[in-house]
Amino acid sequence: MNKKIRDYILTTLATFIMLIWILPLIWSVFVSLKSEIEVLAYPPNIFFEPTLNNFKDAISGSLSIVSELGDSFLIATITTIFTLLLSIPAAYALARLNLFGKKKLGFYVLATQMIPPMGLVIPYYLILGKFGWLDTYHGMIIVYMTFSLPFAIWLMVSFMEDIPREMEEAAFLDKASRMKTLLFIILPQVKGGIAVTTIFTFMNAWNEFLFAVQLSGNKVRPVTIAMYNFVSVEQTLWAKLCAAALIAMIPVIIIGIIGNNHIIKGLTLGAVKGGGRK
Amino acid sequence: MKIKKSTLKKKIGRRQFIKNSVYSGLALGMFPAILTHSSDALAASFGANINWKQAEGSEITVGLIPAGYFKNLAAVKSTFEDLTGVKLNIEMTPPGQIRNKAMLDFSKKTGMWATNSTDPMFYYLYEANGWVDRLDEYLENPKLTDKKWFDYEDIQEGWRGTASVKGVPYGIPFDGEATCQIYRKDIYDKFGIKPANTLDEYLSNAQKIHDPKNRLWAAAVRGMKGAGQNMYIYPSILAGYGGKWFNSSGKMTVNTPEAIGALDYYVKLQKSFAPSGVSNWNWPDLADAFGQGTLGSYIDANSTAAVINNAEKSKVIGKIGYARWPKGPSGRRVCSIWNWSFPINAALSPKDKVATWLFIQWACSKETQAATSHKFAGAYKRVGVNRNSVWKNSDFQSLMSKMGDNFVDTSIKSYNNDTDPDWRPRTAKWPAVGGEMATAIQAALVGEKSSKQALLDAQTKIDKLMKG
Amino acid sequence: MNASSQQEKSFAILLVSPSILVLLITTTFPILYLIWSSFQNINLSMPSNDGFAGLENYIEMFNDKQYWKSFKLTIVYTVSTVSLQLLIGLGLALLVLKIPKAQWLFRLMAILPIVLAPVVVGLFWRTLMLTPDFGIVDFFTQSIGLGSYAWLSEPKLAVFSVILIHTWQWTPFAFLVLLASLASLPSDLYEAAKIDRASALKRFFYITLPLIRPAIIIIVIMRSMIALSAYAAIYAATRGGPGTATEILNLYAYRTSFLEVNFGYGSTLAVFILIVTISVAAVLYSIRRKK
Repeated sequence: MNKKIRDYILTTLATFIMLIWILPLIWSVFVSLKSEIEVLAYPPNIFFEPTLNNFKDAISGSLSIVSELGDSFLIATITTIFTLLLSIPAAYALARLNLFGKKKLGFYVLATQMIPPMGLVIPYYLILGKFGWLDTYHGMIIVYMTFSLPFAIWLMVSFMEDIPREMEEAAFLDKASRMKTLLFIILPQVKGGIAVTTIFTFMNAWNEFLFAVQLSGNKVRPVTIAMYNFVSVEQTLWAKLCAAALIAMIPVIIIGIIGNNHIIKGLTLGAVKGGGRK
Repeated sequence: MKIKKSTLKKKIGRRQFIKNSVYSGLALGMFPAILTHSSDALAASFGANINWKQAEGSEITVGLIPAGYFKNLAAVKSTFEDLTGVKLNIEMTPPGQIRNKAMLDFSKKTGMWATNSTDPMFYYLYEANGWVDRLDEYLENPKLTDKKWFDYEDIQEGWRGTASVKGVPYGIPFDGEATCQIYRKDIYDKFGIKPANTLDEYLSNAQKIHDPKNRLWAAAVRGMKGAGQNMYIYPSILAGYGGKWFNSSGKMTVNTPEAIGALDYYVKLQKSFAPSGVSNWNWPDLADAFGQGTLGSYIDANSTAAVINNAEKSKVIGKIGYARWPKGPSGRRVCSIWNWSFPINAALSPKDKVATWLFIQWACSKETQAATSHKFAGAYKRVGVNRNSVWKNSDFQSLMSKMGDNFVDTSIKSYNNDTDPDWRPRTAKWPAVGGEMATAIQAALVGEKSSKQALLDAQTKIDKLMKG
Repeated sequence: MNASSQQEKSFAILLVSPSILVLLITTTFPILYLIWSSFQNINLSMPSNDGFAGLENYIEMFNDKQYWKSFKLTIVYTVSTVSLQLLIGLGLALLVLKIPKAQWLFRLMAILPIVLAPVVVGLFWRTLMLTPDFGIVDFFTQSIGLGSYAWLSEPKLAVFSVILIHTWQWTPFAFLVLLASLASLPSDLYEAAKIDRASALKRFFYITLPLIRPAIIIIVIMRSMIALSAYAAIYAATRGGPGTATEILNLYAYRTSFLEVNFGYGSTLAVFILIVTISVAAVLYSIRRKK
């Protein structure tokens, strides 16, 4: 089959599937542009007079989520940075270095993620309470790191395992130190993987709810709780809620876009380099 | 040339800086004076014969659910801060999580929340664990409370009862509500029907106006499972059928013939006249549907009036009528007896406890109740004020009567005549018991089990829970 | 060789220690606390009853019909959603792999469902999508003649709906990871296979699949853990209802620990979940790398 036609068909199919997949999100964009009274109109209407009031309400005024956005951003960013700093070296060791008992160690890392979060709320509340770290940024970051570390390590392990063994051997022949090998040869190979890990670590911290509610207070208020500015006991302000939810998605999307570039660069490099044994 | 410019800039800068310092110095110097003056005037305007400043310098955090009535309170918090010199932090916490958070705080004695908006059914639990202070000591202490001014007896009697355990108050009610019928006056008038006086009439009224093909469902009540959801409506039906929670020997019995009859009625009502998604519908969903004109009537909290009269969302303003709960076959008419009240966290320091008491006194006072309701500047005016005196206030009444036909009369009569503190079982085991009942009710509604079976299963579980 | 392998070991230990240390410090106490609590009677509604309970909680758990119902449901839920995520994710990744130019767009679109706050996901799907006669999904099914369904009210359909919601939100994760993995595979292997006249299907099963097996297993393990610990979205959508039809183990443990304030028993449930999860993961882990 002509390659061009094949590509065209595949692209159309993939686009169709993707569009259906994000239909709920497209709908929430519509909802965020409607006035509250129109949101619940049935049959649902696609033609209406759009308004930006909901976005205005979500950003300024008494229902503003801006400070919560800031809190979440701070927590998620620092969590991600520390997680990457710790997890990438650990993943390298577990994936490619000769370490005694590394399989067991690897499983231990995996297992720490299996404790049901429900069971962790009270112990963490106790510990943070004892140190006076409830309702603090560092308290939340430490708790989030407990979840993101194993996750990030294992994600990076699978990406690192994809690199051909020859990489290190070639570096040894060039008499490069181990650290240099890691930094300058291995890491560029897994740029794509690092980007994926960054995005997901950030996202997990960003969207976390259970611990955010119980362990934060009025000084530190993640954005997942701010959604409830629009969900009161008496009513849900759907249009404003969608507007707020969309705004809350922006930081992660930006990080995703930045990460995307690195993924592209990393993958093309990998395909070329990994292909040759020269 | 460059050097000259920069030195010139520096000179101007310095001059401006000095100017600024002088101004701010003046302002700062005057500030305390201004402050004391205004807060003295404020204290005088409150008229209470206590030292409002006795906890000055404290800082307390209060946990509240996101709800219009609490948002109004948060909006006026500067009055409290000016009056007492106590810094007030308000933490809005989702209603599904607030009880857990409060209990974590209480049980681990972390003292994070000085007080929080408390569910009246939880006081037995709190008292059993010693988590909250007895408030009679605060009420009777003339240094802390000006009894005449505060007028504790002016607060709704039923609500005071629910915030007390064995006659001892542990919380002061802030905002409350009563369930009642809410209906489309225009539709009822069109069909020539009056709001139902009995449960059977409620069904027959619904029969007349039910028109799902034209997107009008006749009647619905809360279907979502939860101790505060479907278990907020069912107990009234149970009482209407003459049911009780505890039998003559004091054992909790939930599968009596009356209970089964009540559950059958609930299921019949929902299945015949409510949209099929009702088993997942909570209060906001009912209000939304009514506001959109797709629901002919529903039975829910009277404070829903604020929502369905919100021009931003509602299409039925001016077409609303209210009426009391219909009587059941036993002749009883029982509405909900709900209120959010404020206790005092026993784990606080004595000074913080005083600060908390001052907050509670301020929030529940006649002045603040009026300030957050008919005197409030914003669009949402509180409906559920806790004071009989405010309900009798003509400004308040004229505002409330805009909510719809018969609103004031229905509310007052419901509060005074239709409430029963034992409308739901008062026990320290309420959280678990309420949950089991809610599950059973929903199981019957969705046809998973028959009413008889659902209640029997609930009884088995409750027996186990109540043991030991 | 000896010196260099010694060097390698120390280097490896250096790299791995910070993470292990952090994990040890932050997870050891909670696990011990959880296990200790499971042997205690901690019920806030009966404070006088608190005390050592021995194996009572465990015995109660084995006799708890609701628990086993929830257990079965959790397995169905987890296996369904993880399989779906894997299949759809892999399929989409293979599809998109062939169009490298547009990949960035698909990656971007894929991130969107995951980024939506779980609470909003649950509420949104419950009311705006799935409510019969009021929601969009129902509107569609009615328009195309499939009729209206009680998506979240009918017990079996409700399970299907929550699986749908969870899969909708998380498949993009499998998609993105597999895409990244697939794209980094060395292309020379494929060239060699093409020269050998191996068919596309054979190429997939004998070359691609084994190479990405480690990634697949990690995805399975991780998504299973997330599925097992799913809370916010289901709670917002159904509260575990109707009845207890969608009450997966995590929700049941939550209800016991927090709503029924029976923390001792809730810990027992949590410990058991942990044991099961570790066992299953151990099995998967051992077959991860075929030497």
